[in-house]
Amino acid sequence: MNRRAFLAGAAAATAAWPPRGAAQPKPSITYWNGLTGADGKVMDELIERFTRETGIRIEQQRLPWAELYPKLQVSVPAGEGPDLALIHTVEVPHFANDGVLETIDDATAAAKGFRGDDYLPATWQGGTFQGKRYSLPLDVPQHVLYLNVKVMKDAGLTGADGKPKVPASRDELVSMAKKMTKADSFGFAIGTSNPGRYTWGFHNLLWQNGANIYTADLKRAGVGDPAALEAAEFWAGLAGGLGIAPPANANCRDAFIANRLGMWIAGSWNFTGLREAKIDFTAAPVPKLFKQPVVWSMPHQYAFPKPKSVDRAKRDAAWTHIRWMTDHVAEWTLKAGQVSASRKAHTDPRITGDPVLKTLLGQAPNWQVGQPTPKWVAAENLTRPVIESVYTGQKPAKAAMEDLARQINALPD
Amino acid sequence: MRRRRRRQTGTAYLFLLPGLLLFVVFRLYPLLEGLRMSFTNARLGRATYQYVGLANYTRLAEDTRFGVSLWNTAFYTVASTLPILAVPLGLALALNRGALRNVLRGVFFFPFTLSVVTVGLAWLWLLDPVVGPFNYYLRALGVPARSWLADPATAMWAIIGTTVWWVTGYYLVVYLAGLQDIPRELYEAAALDGAGGWRTFWTITLPLLRPVLLFVVVTHVIGSFQIFGQVFVLTMGGPGDATRTVVQHLYETAFQNFFQFGAASAMAWVLFAIIMVFSILQFRLLRGHTEY
Amino acid sequence: MRRSRVQTLVLTLALGALAVLWLAPIVWVMVTSLKVTADIVRLPPEWIPWPMTAEHYREVLFSSSRTARIGRAFANSLVIALGAVVIVVLTAAMAAYPLARMRFAGRDVVFTLVVGSLMIPNAVVLVPQYVLVQRLGWLSTYQGLIVPEAAMTFAFGVFLLRQFFLTMPGDLEEAARIDGANAWQIFTRIVLPLSQPVLAALAIFAFRSAWNDFLWPLIAVNKPEMFPLPVALALLRSAYSSESYGPIMAGAALSALPLLVVFIVANQRIVEGVRVSGLKG
Repeated sequence: MNRRAFLAGAAAATAAWPPRGAAQPKPSITYWNGLTGADGKVMDELIERFTRETGIRIEQQRLPWAELYPKLQVSVPAGEGPDLALIHTVEVPHFANDGVLETIDDATAAAKGFRGDDYLPATWQGGTFQGKRYSLPLDVPQHVLYLNVKVMKDAGLTGADGKPKVPASRDELVSMAKKMTKADSFGFAIGTSNPGRYTWGFHNLLWQNGANIYTADLKRAGVGDPAALEAAEFWAGLAGGLGIAPPANANCRDAFIANRLGMWIAGSWNFTGLREAKIDFTAAPVPKLFKQPVVWSMPHQYAFPKPKSVDRAKRDAAWTHIRWMTDHVAEWTLKAGQVSASRKAHTDPRITGDPVLKTLLGQAPNWQVGQPTPKWVAAENLTRPVIESVYTGQKPAKAAMEDLARQINALPD
Repeated sequence: MRRRRRRQTGTAYLFLLPGLLLFVVFRLYPLLEGLRMSFTNARLGRATYQYVGLANYTRLAEDTRFGVSLWNTAFYTVASTLPILAVPLGLALALNRGALRNVLRGVFFFPFTLSVVTVGLAWLWLLDPVVGPFNYYLRALGVPARSWLADPATAMWAIIGTTVWWVTGYYLVVYLAGLQDIPRELYEAAALDGAGGWRTFWTITLPLLRPVLLFVVVTHVIGSFQIFGQVFVLTMGGPGDATRTVVQHLYETAFQNFFQFGAASAMAWVLFAIIMVFSILQFRLLRGHTEY
Repeated sequence: MRRSRVQTLVLTLALGALAVLWLAPIVWVMVTSLKVTADIVRLPPEWIPWPMTAEHYREVLFSSSRTARIGRAFANSLVIALGAVVIVVLTAAMAAYPLARMRFAGRDVVFTLVVGSLMIPNAVVLVPQYVLVQRLGWLSTYQGLIVPEAAMTFAFGVFLLRQFFLTMPGDLEEAARIDGANAWQIFTRIVLPLSQPVLAALAIFAFRSAWNDFLWPLIAVNKPEMFPLPVALALLRSAYSSESYGPIMAGAALSALPLLVVFIVANQRIVEGVRVSGLKG
């Protein structure tokens, strides 16, 4: 064979390689999230399906949220961050501020099919900080009121249809709870475990009363204001003066399952687990305990941690995953119990037919999210021990809130 | 002679090399570097930092939460010392008189082989205020149950109780060995003199156990000042800040909230200074009492 | 002894009862780990897990949805603990030998430094050690955990071994030296074999220390798959999760296993080690 023929042959062979029809080796991406509860298993199933359908492998790392965020903060600057992360909306401002996340420009998002109109406004807005977008919402974990049928029936609080009565006001809630509170049984609780330090529940109460961690201009702490104090006094009374709630470190979920808790405001992510435990319960909207029937919500957001250099293939794979999850979000809702941020799934009859999901969807007009300040998480860390000391009666509400306001105002920028 | 010593010096340092390398790089250097860092405003993620003199230390003086954590740590150390001294000693004395000593010693020692996290998780579950067995049995006995870990009056004591359960076995073995070293003749002589059990204990056993007791106290105190694991699992410093300890405060300052390495280093050196002072006092005491 | 048989019997029974109570927390952990999820949170507490299930063990060992993959964490702990033991025993023995047996310039300084470092609490070196390990690129790696763990136990090992070497009669070594053996040969062929009991005691002590260390791996590891067992266990229990106690207790039970085995097998050695360290301390 002469040289020209050889070269021609080689050229032809190169042009034909990779053989048409053979797949390019698909990239695998790393993905961090904090879904340590029952919804974590659902996420695993969906990811397996995703890999089967697209060939893209996903290496999941899961840590409790409280540990996930510092680890993210530490790994990303060191170039060891994941390709994709699922974070909470309130984390976006400070991660964005610290340069941990990449911006997502609207054109790219639109090109991939993500449009603001498809989403509930609070969730779409939550992904931005100072005018730039850093994340795309997936779903809306929120609070809901769980009612233990057995406990309420034993206390005579069920209607003729056998369904538990739903309290319509704070006073009604308290009087109902008192009927259910006995030696080792409690009428009411907010929070999954460690209700004493459950800041998300505390936020819910604050927001219902028109108060917030920061004042509206985000310049100083608002926890010392009268509306906040009112909420704090109620918090203090729960296990104290009113005596209707379990101790500060109780596991409310276990208490509910053991039929030792009657009314329970907690995250929507709990209800599939309750169904598995075969507890007889109903779900109702979070009652209006103060001025507005606000429902605490915390949309999950997909974000791209800033890598040292962008690997195009991995980035595209991550986008594919987000797209796929958004398209299949009805499955996520049905199995994990989290209502989707995208509106498309809301008309799915399987979802509207489920009483709990229907309740969750119905709360949409009342959703509120945390304030978009980079100091939100640090303020929350400070809030935890303070509200716990209020809950246990170590500190009177007023003094504690004033102290908290001082601490929050002292946070460095 | 000097030539031999010089040759030995060379050989000696060859032997010492790997260990010294490990020691200098990973113990000595970090110790001194920590001191240097305590005078800066170093922060994780910030490539450059400035020297700020004593600012970190003065800020510590104003940090009420640091003060609270120091107090809690001191309280824990002091309050746990008597149970740690007395419980294993009582057990050791009892074990010495009963049968099945080795088996029982093994049983009491076993918790010591567990990690602090395992111990914490076990007791967390046991002490759960609503569904935990401990409170259930208390209620059954008519004793009012409490949320041991969430009640500021009892939280630290619950942590102390957990620790006693965890480490008693280790000190039990130490005491048993110490008791065995006491010559039989002393007891026999005392018995001949008509001395009863209690008197024998005070005049013979206790004085002869002094070095062991001091060892137990020193070991326990140095360990107590650094308590972290039990608190992390059982209470996270709660309720409020009632069980917040110095190492937890350090950990959160450095690795959770703001990654303030400079401030955390200052905290660490204050802790070190306290432990050093205490240890020196201990050694003075020890040296004064080993003669008998 | 004038103690009566009855007294001894009563005492032993009382101690036995106390011992049973003493083990109750561990039994509760085991029992919970074997219960079906629906039975875990039940009052009155049930001490017999029936029906029994291995699902929690299967889940923590093999399920990828486990928050921190206990099975992998177990393996990590094993690697770290064994690695630390090897390094500590070797370096401490090699350092203790000249300190005990040789006269050389700076010997007292070195010894004082090393023993003095026993007073250094680990918390004090935490932050700078972190910075150092990060600069070495050793975060979330095995060496980043093994080497600092070894450094933590090194001083104690030197102290322990030097004590032991000092109490060894030197005639065998002297004879070997006369025969022309060099220091290394004496060390490896005579001293080390004679030191087996105390080396074993040190190994067990170092193993336990590395196996159970919690704070350092908590901060030095950023990749969940590299977490050792205590950290993985601690993170199973998180503030707002709906985690059932079943997997957590299974993880706790698993974490106790190797030391239980070591303990049963090497009971005497451990006691001896505690004895030696305790009384000369």
